[in-house]
Amino acid sequence: MLLLEDKEIDLFVASRIGSFKHIKYHTDVGKNKKKCIENLVDIKSLQKDDSILCMEWGNKEQSEILLARKNRKIEIYDTEIGFRKSYSVNFGEGNIIGVARCSKGILAGVASGVIQIWDDKDFDIENPIVIQTGGKLDRVKVWKHGDMFATGGEENDLKVWKIDEEKPIFIAKNLPHDWLQLRRPIWVTDLTFLEENLLAVCSRHGYVRLYDTRIQRRPITHIETPGMAATCIANGFDERQVFVGFGRGHLHQVDFTKSRLDKGYKGAAGAITSIALCEQERLIVSSSLDRHLRVHERDSKNCVYKQYLTSKLAQVLVQSQRNTALKVVIKDESDVEPLETVKLDQTDELDDIFETMETISETRKKPSSEPHETEAKKLRPSLEGSTVETSEDAILKLLKSTEKTRKKREKIKREKKQKSLFYNA
Amino acid sequence: MARGKDKKKRKLEKKQEGDEVPKKVPHTLESLREKDETTIANAEADEQEEAQKDMELDELSSYFENAYEPKVLITYSDNPHTKTRIFGKELMRIIPNSTARYRQRSSVKRIVQSSIREQVTDVIIINENQKQPNGFLLIHLPNGPTAHFRLSSCKITPELRKDYKEITNHRPEVVLNNFSTRLGLTVGRMLGALFHYEPQFRGRRAVTFHNQRDYIFFRHHRYEFTSDGKRAKLRELGPRFTLKLISLQQGTFDSKRGDYEWIIAGRRHQLETSRRRFFL
Repeated sequence: MLLLEDKEIDLFVASRIGSFKHIKYHTDVGKNKKKCIENLVDIKSLQKDDSILCMEWGNKEQSEILLARKNRKIEIYDTEIGFRKSYSVNFGEGNIIGVARCSKGILAGVASGVIQIWDDKDFDIENPIVIQTGGKLDRVKVWKHGDMFATGGEENDLKVWKIDEEKPIFIAKNLPHDWLQLRRPIWVTDLTFLEENLLAVCSRHGYVRLYDTRIQRRPITHIETPGMAATCIANGFDERQVFVGFGRGHLHQVDFTKSRLDKGYKGAAGAITSIALCEQERLIVSSSLDRHLRVHERDSKNCVYKQYLTSKLAQVLVQSQRNTALKVVIKDESDVEPLETVKLDQTDELDDIFETMETISETRKKPSSEPHETEAKKLRPSLEGSTVETSEDAILKLLKSTEKTRKKREKIKREKKQKSLFYNA
Repeated sequence: MARGKDKKKRKLEKKQEGDEVPKKVPHTLESLREKDETTIANAEADEQEEAQKDMELDELSSYFENAYEPKVLITYSDNPHTKTRIFGKELMRIIPNSTARYRQRSSVKRIVQSSIREQVTDVIIINENQKQPNGFLLIHLPNGPTAHFRLSSCKITPELRKDYKEITNHRPEVVLNNFSTRLGLTVGRMLGALFHYEPQFRGRRAVTFHNQRDYIFFRHHRYEFTSDGKRAKLRELGPRFTLKLISLQQGTFDSKRGDYEWIIAGRRHQLETSRRRFFL
């Protein structure tokens, strides 16, 4: 962490009763004591089927959120304006299991296995694209460029589709029968694109698999997590790493190169429902059925933040591209409200400045480490002029004064030897 | 000075002072319990409102709207011994509109399926180990939740030298004590939803679930008001037992693949950070 400055991170949390909240999380731990939570939905108006099932960013600037509710409504929320639009889904049967924006508009899938893509502007008029995936679905995810998506569900293994094509471009194949010659059951509960051709899948039957669509239909890595039903998966910070949440409240980093569960993040007493990452600060945000939101540090594995949010949480999103101000900062300071927002905008600019400063400080740091070398360089010519004995003292001084890596020391020694040889000669 | 003498002295002083001195509340683990952030009583107004809404919208809400009459199925583990059988039968007498059935080697998931078909609203499964009942699984139907309790110190009526025939067929009153946290409320609501929402006061039967330090004590009494009507005499009818929550699961029973709302297995040391911390 180069910046010890406080940084605000915006978290959006959706719950099973349908409440939708905006939380400001400060990287400076002391500032988190004050509650910075805001309800974006009026709680009194909630009905029985308002439960939020899916939540996804609508655009790359992260100013738009797509929400899918149990009453088969898809709502578009703008972080600046508020709720903007809503569609009601009337195709297929079952709950909505995924919404996302793709290159041809909005994509939505329902649990019975039907996926529909429609244009944003004219939902009713245009004939939407309908895709039958053949089987139950548990999750649909769209590749970040919007031209591909992947599906999976119970006894419906991973399939990757191009948006224009009717047939999938990749169908996963199950692993061979186990040593008792029994078929391995399939249940894809969540999936994620690591790269264009690399997909990670987790299952309630207790496995995490990595598929490479270029190489083979069977998974290239298969990691068993016996007795732990995986519920959600998220891309990791590094290549070939993912975070997996489990139904019994475990949260683990999974490393496909080591092919095992890597790091465990403790604290949750209930099932993890969703994981989101803070790329810059290396933080893991997870929502859990025990009604708590937790933030873990990636390397130290400590839980740095925990917040009780009164209802069972379903989804969490981290806004890393931009900041949004809390609309009502604190009820007592309602007069100061507009000012506050302006201030926050300024912090936006400040953040930008800081970001630029960061790079400068790095470049500065490099020269700051260089002076030792320059001193050494300065010393060397003086040594050349003097006798051998003094030069040796100088070496000792050099060694003591500049604590450098062994290689560099050896280098200097070698140079010195060469020089001394030269002088002896 | 020796402690004993000191105590005597203090007692004497107390006697002299008489009844004027207000009674002090003893410091117990319970009274000194750590504040839990999920207790509704000391939450802010908007949080309270949301918790209220949460309860209005959960799976048990239809019972509290008096939308249905609870119908309970009681079963055992396979081949129950006498004590467990009698315990089940007594539960059947306590809980109105309930039936006890032998399990017939059926799996829990199949029991759940057929119970939903038969419009049963709650299923109780009593587990037995070494002839003693030791597990209590409570499944609310049709969409959960599922609570798993450890059952201990179970005393059936013959052990209390009582007669089960004293338990009348009247619908009992239910007392749920001390369920304060959000988790506790859910558990309390689940236990309350076993009984008919309209007690028959004529029967003067009271069923108590008293939570103390996360242990839920069950007692069953018949009460009688004294002639002046200020106090009630109690007569215990039995059985007695104690429950302790092991896990609370969302949805119906699926221990392998289900989502848990709260589970203590494997994280006891993380959760039980202090002796004064309680979850219910």
